[in-house]
Order: sequence, then structure tokens, then C-alpha cells
Amino acid sequence: MNILTLLIFAPILFGFIILLLPSSWRASFKYITLIATLLQLGISIWIYLNFKTGPTNAGINFVDEFQFVQKLPWIHLDLGSAGSMQIDYFVGIDGISVTLLVMTCLVMVIAAVASWEIKGNLKGFFALFLLLDMAVIGVFCALDFFLFYTFYELMLLPLYFLIGMWGGARREYAAIKFFLYTLFGSVFMLLVMVGLYLSVKDPVTGNHTFNMIYMMDQANYIQGSVFSVLSNATLLGMPARTVGFVVLFIAFAIKVPVVPLHTWLPDAHVEAPTPVSIILAGVLLKIGGYGIIRICMSLFPDVAHSGAFWLGLLGVISILYGAFNALAQRDLKRMIAYSSVSHMGFVLLGLASQTAEGVSGAVMQMVSHGFLSTMLFFLVGVVYNRVHNRDIYNFRGLGTLMPKYTVYIMIAFFASLGLPGFSAFIAEAFSLAGAFKSHSVNGLLPYWMAVCGSVGILLSAAYLLWTLQRMFFGKIALKGGDIWKNALTDLNTRETLTLLPLALMALALGLMPSLVFAKINDSVLALVEFLQIK
Amino acid sequence: MNQPLSHTDAQTVTLALIAVLLPFAAFVINFLVLGKSKATGWVSTLAILASAVLGITVFFKVWDKQVMHVQYLWFTIGTTKLYAGVLLNNLSVLLLALVSVIALPVHIYSTAYMNDDEGYGHYFRYLSFFCFSMLALVVVDNLMLFYAFWELVGFSSYLLIGFWFTRDSAVIANKKAFIMNRIGDIGLLTAIIILFTQYHTFDIAALFGSDGLIVRSVITHGEWVGPVGHIPAVWQYVAFGGIFLAVAAKSAQFPLHTWLPDAMEGPTSVSALIHAATMVAAGVFLLGRAYALFTETELTILAFVGCFTAFMAATIALTQNDLKRILAYSTISQLGFMVMAMGVGAYASSLFHLATHAFFKCLLFLVAGIVIHQVKHIKDDNNLDIDPQNILHLGGLRKKLPLTFIAAIIGGLALIGLPLTSGYLSKDGILIQSFEWSEGRNIFFKLVPTFGLLNTWLTAFYVSRLIIKVFFGEFRLQKMNPHIKIHIGDGSWQYKLPLILLAVCCLFPLFSLNPLLYEDAWLFHGFFQINFLVRSNMYHTIIPALVNVLSIGVMYGAWMLYVKRNTWSVPQTGFLFRMSCNEWYIDKFYNRVIVKFVLILSDTLYWFDIKVVDGLVNLIQSIGIAFSKMAAWFDHYIIDGLLNLLAAVVQGIGDFARRFQRGKVQYYLYSMLLALIVVFILKILIWT
Repeated sequence: MNILTLLIFAPILFGFIILLLPSSWRASFKYITLIATLLQLGISIWIYLNFKTGPTNAGINFVDEFQFVQKLPWIHLDLGSAGSMQIDYFVGIDGISVTLLVMTCLVMVIAAVASWEIKGNLKGFFALFLLLDMAVIGVFCALDFFLFYTFYELMLLPLYFLIGMWGGARREYAAIKFFLYTLFGSVFMLLVMVGLYLSVKDPVTGNHTFNMIYMMDQANYIQGSVFSVLSNATLLGMPARTVGFVVLFIAFAIKVPVVPLHTWLPDAHVEAPTPVSIILAGVLLKIGGYGIIRICMSLFPDVAHSGAFWLGLLGVISILYGAFNALAQRDLKRMIAYSSVSHMGFVLLGLASQTAEGVSGAVMQMVSHGFLSTMLFFLVGVVYNRVHNRDIYNFRGLGTLMPKYTVYIMIAFFASLGLPGFSAFIAEAFSLAGAFKSHSVNGLLPYWMAVCGSVGILLSAAYLLWTLQRMFFGKIALKGGDIWKNALTDLNTRETLTLLPLALMALALGLMPSLVFAKINDSVLALVEFLQIK
Repeated sequence: MNQPLSHTDAQTVTLALIAVLLPFAAFVINFLVLGKSKATGWVSTLAILASAVLGITVFFKVWDKQVMHVQYLWFTIGTTKLYAGVLLNNLSVLLLALVSVIALPVHIYSTAYMNDDEGYGHYFRYLSFFCFSMLALVVVDNLMLFYAFWELVGFSSYLLIGFWFTRDSAVIANKKAFIMNRIGDIGLLTAIIILFTQYHTFDIAALFGSDGLIVRSVITHGEWVGPVGHIPAVWQYVAFGGIFLAVAAKSAQFPLHTWLPDAMEGPTSVSALIHAATMVAAGVFLLGRAYALFTETELTILAFVGCFTAFMAATIALTQNDLKRILAYSTISQLGFMVMAMGVGAYASSLFHLATHAFFKCLLFLVAGIVIHQVKHIKDDNNLDIDPQNILHLGGLRKKLPLTFIAAIIGGLALIGLPLTSGYLSKDGILIQSFEWSEGRNIFFKLVPTFGLLNTWLTAFYVSRLIIKVFFGEFRLQKMNPHIKIHIGDGSWQYKLPLILLAVCCLFPLFSLNPLLYEDAWLFHGFFQINFLVRSNMYHTIIPALVNVLSIGVMYGAWMLYVKRNTWSVPQTGFLFRMSCNEWYIDKFYNRVIVKFVLILSDTLYWFDIKVVDGLVNLIQSIGIAFSKMAAWFDHYIIDGLLNLLAAVVQGIGDFARRFQRGKVQYYLYSMLLALIVVFILKILIWT
């Protein structure tokens, strides 16, 4: 059995087990979920260790350079004179996906542990959780557009219910907002996908194909088809390829999220239960970034090249706008949600630069943010679980009350604000370096973008240190008085064991960035080269 | 790039690495093993002792002999390889030795000073980490690592300034320090990125070396042309601006100096370290490292900013009443002096002053620490409500703290720069060179040396004021509260030994055998500008004489003013006094204008987010709902209504027709009759 297939579908097997078990066994569900995620983590680490590097394993636009590939015919219909319809179950990974896979699997373990707090309807929760787990892993592995789309849409359903049923006070509003936002993006994505399908032929079988790798090669496009570079077709009066790129970009930009398509995020985060916040910030946002790399930029390199300025601009706006908004918040979770917007802006800026430094920095930022935002949301969950309040103004002097907790908060905060020694520093520094260098390498981004982006680093220090000072230092003063004081116990062993690996990962990646860079470098170089050729 | 090293060289580099890593090891041991135990203090102290010994050893092996550079591959990104390594040249080994030697007495002192504090273990953890960051900063060979340790220095100072984190003033101060330093950090990061774009490397030796990439670059026709590429010249200026910001933040230059006086909220021993050799020295060190980058104009800007900072800080120090605040402003002033020296091309003098200043400023802070500690004892013993740092309460302490008094005198004289002290040697060098620099330029440039000169007299005044208020006259606290009990003294050997050590280092023999001629100082010969050593003109004689005679005059004036009190007194009102007392209103300006602006901007953007961006989303939602309601209405009333109407019509007709068939014979007869009538009518009226 293919190891990737196992990785994708292992959680769903455990999900079935949970569904089949009687509800009276509900206490065991969380352990079953934890075992599933741990198994997945083990598999992903095995994959990571056995992942081969070198220029011949770069992936990107060569089918045979992908690793752990499995390709099975899935839906093959003979349509008579119209040829035959060909949809494959086609999975495989290259450097871009492998590090994200490991990150996702670790985040899932943490999310599973964070699910300990869930009280109601455990069977439903954990079954949906595992379904979501399968879908996100599938997205990172799929190389067939149809398969990708299936997994991509499959994520929505469990998320909608997870937020809508186990969320906070305004959960229904948040859930429907999230659902509609994302659906809005993906509906149009479907149209582009069909357009691409009709434009591309499998060079081996001669059928239309959803194979994304074939879609990257202009030689596979049918002459005169809508998305062929040569045909110069137009849609709604605009060049068809531009429209295709923009539509796909909007779909993924909603996920990232890019300003101004971000407003679902604070609401969804604030209302979602902790484990779902963790998955949202840790993994879902990365799917946006991954989609931009794997689909937007790879399938439409020409548009990515001509539109790089706008991508970079959106990145800079996200960085600054998110940071300023974070500064204005008084709900701790909302502040962290906005800081996610700001930090993900570096991903977009790095990608837009289309330099090796920028793209590597962007991937690093995705991995790093995966760990750090998980840590941050978990930490918010700790306080929220104890007193059901997260207003920054209602707390003071937590440092005296919860010393261990404060240590982890400080690690998470300082790591997020880019303190050297932690992963975010390397990621942000190289995203900016790539963005700055871009002008003299490929002339895509003006110099000032990187300079403006670096202001985001300053602002992140401002809002995080303000929160530290306001909530954790000073003399103890709590809105809830002695009741809160008794409720706010320091971290227990389960919580410490959850946070420690995340802190260590952030530290390890900061000290040894080669853990990520060594795996992605060949793919990044291949991608940059591919984008330059257009 | 990596030439093989001989065995002894490799050994030297290893020693330097060990010197850097020992404090880190102490940090790890204290963090993981010792916790709150008192042993933490001794682990940290032993580590820094060993570092100091190694630092001095390395210093003698490298100083004026050769440059050592070792590096290893750290990681590869794209096609760029990043190396991590150690670069030992005169500049770095000087700092390596200086930092570790200064840190040693501070550690010893701290073991006593922090003895009663609950956070003793934490304190030494942070202190070791602080020393590690600074030592690593001076030896690394790569700009990325330089930036990393640069920021770690800032981070560890954040921890130490906010050490008493339950005090609001302390946590506000450390936040301010970190954010101010962050402004510098993004400047440095921008400069590094620009250099990377221009030269494709982060290697300090390759960039700033004597035949490095930067030396071989020129600015022509608006382009900055280097050996491997070119970018618009404006980015050279931005790179300078970034480095300037970084220097201004770390070395507390105008306009980013305001964090340093507030940083006094940390323990005094930490202030001693921050003000002497770690943290603030980093900025001047960066200037030294990146010196090759600066153009003539940029150096002039440095000279003016440094001169202005020195003057501004000195005027502020005149009127402050907080013991540590006076010293803090004096540090800013002296740092301004060093930056000015860099600007006028007195590279060696600047670093010389950095070294001498480290000793006497550290000494003065330790003195201040003892005074504050003792006054605090009096305060606690007698339940007084006073600020132990306010010099207006003090006086006459020379009899009670004799050793501290002598140390203060030596430190003070060195700070003023009187002969026989180290300060004399370094300070006069800077002044002389600034005069030489302004020679042959227009009158505007004369401002720099003139204000430099004025500055030394201001220094003489505030130092005299400080020492007189604290050590001479009578103890004002006792005068106000006559029955308080006072048992104070110099304290244990942990206090005395550091004072003696540092006081000895503040005298001339450490730096020059000739107490009067700065040109003979050995430190001078280690840096490249030999031409300044020639006593070519009058300045070399006139300036020291002028400076010192007038300084002594100023000190005498201060003595008359504060001790004899029989001459005129300083007016305590007036614009200039208020300006000085309020620290030139700079902090107030920042808080009221810049901070407020940022907060308003962030609130506005949040409002925009909620009302406009989200408002748009909600509007679309409302429109959607409105449409669906309209559709529902249409569905209900029009489409369904038509259908219902049809049904009603059919039903009505049916109901009507049904009446005819209810089985009553009369109805049948009626209907037959009706039918007949209809037929007849039709037949008669129509069909005929």
C-alpha cells in the first residue's frame, strides 16, 4: 500500500471505528483520535526522513520527480466521440509539500489533545475531526486537480459543523460566514478547473485530464483552447488566463487570508472551539498559501509574473493592515487572529518576489506560523477554559499567578515577533530579503515593498509586548476577583506536554533552518526557474 | 574563503568560542539544574571569570598580530550559502576582552546586591544570557548572526530591565526599551538586506574588510556600483540610515535615546552592565564594524548627531535629581561623544573612549548601587517614605562610605577627564581630532568641536554636583528626620573588590605609561589611523590645557555653589531650566504625538475593518437576504397566488355546477325548464 494513501486515509478508518462504537464508550473517543493523529505523525516523519533531495527529485513540473507517487484510474468514462473522461486518484509530494505535511500532522496531534476540553456530542466531534484531518492531508498530496478540489471542498463540511455546533455565542453567524466566504471562492474555482480540463490533453493517452503537472506544460494545451497561451482567448473582455488566475487567487486568498478577504477569520477564530482554531490557523491558512504556489503560480506562471506587483502589494497591505488591527484589539483571540493576517502577509510577499530566498522564506513562514499560531491559540484556550473570558483588560499580573504559563506565552510571543533563534525570524528575514532582491533579479517588486514590510516586524513587537505588559506583568488584578484567582491554575502536565514540542520545534527551526531548507531547496530552485521561463 | 589555520590559530579560535559559550553554559545549567538556588550566582560568576581570562588570552594572541576567521556552513537557501563563523580582529578581541572583564566585577557585585531578592536564580540566568549575547555579537562573522545576537542583546536587556515585573514602571520601561530597539533593528535588517542584494553575501570580512566588497564600490551617476552588481545610489543612503537607526537605538543617540534613562528600572548592577560594556557599546561597535560603508557626508551627519546628543544629554543631566538618571544621561552624552568621534574620523579614539568609559561608568553605577542600597536600608529600618535615588535627600556620605567615596571620586574625575585618569587620555584625543577635522572647513563645521568642548565643562559641572550632593555637606535625610537610626557601611568584600578593581582600571597606567599624552596609548596603535599620532599642530597642547583648567574652574564653582552656598544660586525657573528638567520634552512629544498617532491609526483601521470591509460583507449578505425575501414574496403571492386563483375559480365553478345535481326532483324540473327556455330563446331570437 502506498504510504501517502495510508497517511491520507488512516484517520478516516479511525473515524469509522468511532462511529461504530456505542456512545457509552465516549470516553475512549479522544484516545482513538489521538492514536490516529500520532500514527499519522509517525508516518509523516518516516516520509520526511525518507524524502530524497537533489535536483532530480525537485518535483514541481516533472511528474517523475515526485515521490511516494500513487496513480490509479478513478473515474474513467467513455464518452464515445467526445473522447473519454479521465479523472485519476493521483497523489505524490515534492519539497513544497513534504514539510507542510509534517507540520500538519504535528498540528493535528496538538489539536487532538486540545479537544480534551470538548464536552458535548463527542462522537460527532471526533468523527468530523478525523474527516477534516483526512481532507487537509489529501489537499497537500493531491496532484490531480479534481482530486484536489474534492478534498478542498470536503474540508468545508466538517469545519462548518465544528464551528457551528461546538463554537461560542455567535457560532452560527461565524460558521455561515466562513462557509459562504469559502464557498464563494471555490465555486468559481470549479469553473476554471473545468476550463483547464477542457484545455489540456494527457500526452500519453490523449484524453482530457485533470493532472496538474500536465497543466503546467504549455505543450499539453490544445490549440485554440480557452486557457492556451497561444490562443489569447478572452473571458468577459479580459484575457482568459488572467481571469483564470484571478479567480483561483481569490479562492486561495480567502483561505490565506489576504486583506480585504480576511474578515471571516477573526469571527471564525473567536467563535471556534480551541482545537478548531488551532486547525484553522495552523493548517487551513497554509492551504491557501500552498494553493497559490501549487496552482495559481504553477498553472499560470505568465500571469503570476505580470501580476507580481499586485500580489506583493496585497502582501504588504496584509502585513501592515493586520498588524494595525491587532494593535486595536482587546480580545486576546481576536488579536492573535489579526496577527495571523499580518504574518501570512509575509508569505504572499515572499511568493510574489519569485526569488529563491523569498519563496523559501514564504514556505518557512508557513511552517513556522503553523507551529506558532497553534501554540498561541492553545495558550488562549488555556485561559479561556479556566475563566471563560479573554478580554485583555480583565487580567493583570498573570505572571505571578501562572509562572509556567507565562514562560510559554513569552516564548510564543517572542517567537512570533521574530526573535532570532526562533523560526519566524529566519522566515520573515528571508521573505523580506527575497522581496528586496527581487527588483535586481527579476524586476518584479519595487524596493520599497520590503522596507514597508519590515515595519510589520516593528508593529508586531508593539502589540505583543503591550499585551504582555497589560496581562502578565504588574500586580495581580482580575475582573473576576478571587473566583478567577482560584480558577486560574498553572499549566497541567497535559498542557505542558502539548506546548513543549511546539516550542522546541520553533526553536529547532530557528537554529537549524536547514531542517526545512534542505528539503525544499531543490523544489524552490526548480519553481523559481520554472516561473522565470514562463 | 576558508584558508587553513595553523594549530595555534585554531586553538585561539577555540578559546574565543569557549569564552563566548561559557556564559551560555552557565545560563543552561542555571535554567535546567539549579533553579532558585544561591549556587546560580557562583556558576555565572565562575563562567564569566573563565571568559574574562580566556578573553584576555585571546586578546594577547590576536591584538596587532593577525586576523583570524573560521566559518562553517550553516544552511543553504536557494543558491546562497550561509556560514556561521568567528572573526577575530583587533576590534573584536578588544571588545571580547572588555565585555568579559567588565562583566566580572558586575557579577561579583551582584551576588551580594541581589542576595535578598526572590528572583536571585532568574537574575543570574538572565545575566549570563545577556553576557553570552554580547560576547557572541562581537565575534560573529556574519551579518545574519550579527543581527540575531544584536536582537538577543536587546531581548535579554528586556528581561533584565523588567526584572521586577510586578512594578508597572519597570514593565513599561522594558517595553519601551524593546520597541525603541526594534526600530533600530528594522533599520539594521533593512541595511543587511540592502547589502545582501548588492553583494550577495552576509560575510562581514568579505564586505567590510580592508579590500572588501564595499571598499571596491563607488557611487556614480546615481548608481551604487559594486564588484558584483549595482543598485540605485539612494539605497546606499538608506543602508546608512538603517545602520544609523540601529546605532541610535542601541547606543541611545538622538532621536532614539529615551529608553535608556527609563531602563534604570532594572537592578542597578544591570544598569552598570548595560551602560558600560554591553548593550550600549553594541552601537558603537557596529559603527566600527561597518565603518567602510560610510561616505564623507554620512560621517558628517554622524558627527553632528553625536555632538548634538552629547550636548543635549549633558544639559539634561545638569538638573536631574535622580542619582541613576544623572548617570544615564551622562552615558548618553558620552556615547554621543563616541559617535561624534566616529564621525570626525577619530576611529581609534572613539573605541579608546568606549573602553575607558566602560570602566568608569561601570564604577560609578556600582557606587550608585551601594548608595541606593544603603539608603534603602535606612528607609526600610525607619519606615520612611522617600525615594532612595533622590540625591536631594543625601549628603555627607563620605564618612560613612569611605571606600565608595574614593571610588566615586576616581570615577568622577575620569568621567570629567582630568589628567592621570584614563578618561583624560581618551577624551582629549577626540576633542583634538575634532578640531583638526573642522580645520579648513566652513564655520558651520566648527560647531562640532566647540560644542564638544562646552560639553566637557557641562560634564565637569554635573559630575561635581552629583558627588558633592551625595558625599559632601551634611546628611539631609538625617537633618529632616533627626531621630532615625543609621547603620551603613561599604558592605562586604563582594562590594569592595569590584570597586577596587574598577577604580584601578580607571587610572592611566592601564592604557598608557605617559599620563599626559594620549598618543602614547597602546590601544591607539591597534587601529589603522596612524596619522593622528603625530603631534603636528598646536591643538595637541592647547586643548588639553584649556579643557582641564576650565574644568577645574567649573568644579570649583560647583563646590562653592553646593557646599559653601555663599555665592549666587541657580535660578530654578525659566525656560531653560524647565527644558532641561523635562528632558527637552522629547518623551512627552513621543507619547503625545507619535504613540497617539499610531493608536488612532490602528483604531481607525479597525473601525474600517468592522464597518467598511465587514460592512460590505454584511451588506452583500443583507442584499442577498432581501433578494431572497423578495423572491419568497413573489413565490408566495404571485406564482402561488396565480395557482391558487386558478384553483379557486375552478372550485367556484364546480361548486356552482354541483348545485344542479343534488338529487332533488324540483331542481331537475327547474333545470329542464331552464334548458327549454334557453333553447326556445335561442331558437327564436338568434337562429332565426
